[in-house]
Amino acid sequence: MALFKRLIDWIDVRIGAREIVAKELTGYLLPRNINAWYSMGSILLFIFAMQVVTGILLLIYYVPDADKAFKSVSFIMNEVPFGWLIRTCHAIGSNMMVLVLFLHMLSVLFMNSYKSPREFNWLTGFILFTLVQGISLTGYLLPWSQLSFWATTVATNSANAIPVAGPYLVEFLRGSKLVGPPTLGRFFALHVALIPLGMAAVVGAHLFFLQRTGVSTPPFGQKETANQWQGDGYRYESHPGGIPFFPNYALEDLRSIFIYLACFLAVVFFAPNLFFTSDSFLPANPLQTPAHIKPEWYFLANYQTLKIFPNEFIGLSVQGAAMTFLALLPFIDRTRERHPLKRPLFMICAVGGILLWVGLSVWGHYS
Amino acid sequence: MNLLGSLLVLLLPLAVLWPLASFAAEPQEIVCIQCHGAMPGKIGEPVKLWKGSIHAENGIACNACHGGDPKDAANAMSPARGFLGAPKEAAIPAFCGRCHVGVLKDYLASAHGKALGKGGPTCVTCHSNHLVVKASLDIINEKRCSQCHSYERAKVIRAAMQETEAMIVAIDKRIAAYKVQGTDTESLEKGLFAVRNRFHTLFHNVDVGMVKKESAGIQADLKKIQDQLAALDDSRQKRKIAGAVVVSAMLLLALFAHLLRKTFD
Repeated sequence: MALFKRLIDWIDVRIGAREIVAKELTGYLLPRNINAWYSMGSILLFIFAMQVVTGILLLIYYVPDADKAFKSVSFIMNEVPFGWLIRTCHAIGSNMMVLVLFLHMLSVLFMNSYKSPREFNWLTGFILFTLVQGISLTGYLLPWSQLSFWATTVATNSANAIPVAGPYLVEFLRGSKLVGPPTLGRFFALHVALIPLGMAAVVGAHLFFLQRTGVSTPPFGQKETANQWQGDGYRYESHPGGIPFFPNYALEDLRSIFIYLACFLAVVFFAPNLFFTSDSFLPANPLQTPAHIKPEWYFLANYQTLKIFPNEFIGLSVQGAAMTFLALLPFIDRTRERHPLKRPLFMICAVGGILLWVGLSVWGHYS
Repeated sequence: MNLLGSLLVLLLPLAVLWPLASFAAEPQEIVCIQCHGAMPGKIGEPVKLWKGSIHAENGIACNACHGGDPKDAANAMSPARGFLGAPKEAAIPAFCGRCHVGVLKDYLASAHGKALGKGGPTCVTCHSNHLVVKASLDIINEKRCSQCHSYERAKVIRAAMQETEAMIVAIDKRIAAYKVQGTDTESLEKGLFAVRNRFHTLFHNVDVGMVKKESAGIQADLKKIQDQLAALDDSRQKRKIAGAVVVSAMLLLALFAHLLRKTFD
């Protein structure tokens, strides 16, 4: 222990480490009524880190070549020691990341934490949401399976619905007229370099905005639940008398991460094919279209929406309008009240929106 | 933010998904099916029978056996375009044997083949000519064999092969189940393919002693494949045990973090 203290002292006199710990950890106070939903962000950071680590390990054996990609993934799954575990963790981790991201967004939505002055937090969070969808979509192609190939064919083909620029955009996305080796090269670069770097940068911005605005107080269990921010000047939302982040809330974060890991590993070990169909294990064949290709569960609502409308462009436009509305929510919803139960119209719209999304997803699954 | 730009960014990832039916377009029918399929009676019947066959299932159409030009209605049945029509009875084995080379050899070496042209059976006697179904032991049955001779001898041969057939079917199912879970089953499939082919050579053999002896050897090879599958089962079982341990460990760590957190209240 003496050696450890000497090491800390050595560092402290050089960079003032104890001051940072006092300010950012033990002295960083959080609202007393903070709840477990605030751990979703920490779980997401943990998942992102796991995706990066497992992704780097997969890169050792994965070959981004249309002739070799499928075999290299099969080699990882069957020959590389613990390769099945790494690949399964990566594939299931991507689905879990989307699921936890949904939960994180829903908790922010229902606690009305997106309201002023946290517009930047919401917007960066929303950009992260689209980037997660983008990284999932690009990663989908990499195993070069029947599912990968045809899902990407359909996904990129949808850009055709955009008037005038559509066909050019499709060719730009694919790198050729049809999905092929150039598409794999593009998606690989996006998946392992561009999007992760973008995500890291936006995560940094998201945390920066959180650090500057302070953690929002949950509206639950409070008498006064109206937003107090006046907009007359910058003000950090402090929580005098609150609980310290370290060790108190850090342990709650840790508990949530362990619970997440228990659920995640239960899927990895007991239902590893939960998110895979049999087409995921057949090599891509451009000459044979599988009979039933369905997107990942989180795109099922979009899939069904496109089927409902008679015109592809209308379907895309409706989705785009819904997403734009969600992205700009803090600028549209200007009311001060934050408690969801005191906002019946908000509750009807939010719950109705969720039910609509679930209904479309179930319909899409069985259609 | 440029709204149009952001809209495009938002739309692209969202778009996995189109009504996929448009991708599964029906292949255009060849002219043989277009004409004969619409004809009544004997001329149209082969098309109806063929549609339920293993040939249709594997995309082997009329012209693969009968030749001709399947894209040109006017010259579809022109000998100049390689049209062969229906073969004479004695020429049937050679007709089918253009593709089924190994089977032709087995057939010609058997008592059935040796009786070709002397009242003996040809391929279509047992397999039929257009409704050709996947070869299996079911073909050896009293109704079919009794067309030419008593069923007694065939019954003994079928019984000797029954167990092997059941083993092959069971192994095939297990391999397929592993395949749809992402397991590399290529070597297992190749192994089973070779054994199955060896087994199928017995189908045309009418020597009871030989069938029994060969069946024993084939079963020994099948046992080797079963051992490999058992090793896979064992590995999957071990993964589940490891999974139970790590999931329990995570839950215990969660409980520990929770209790430790309580000490700071």
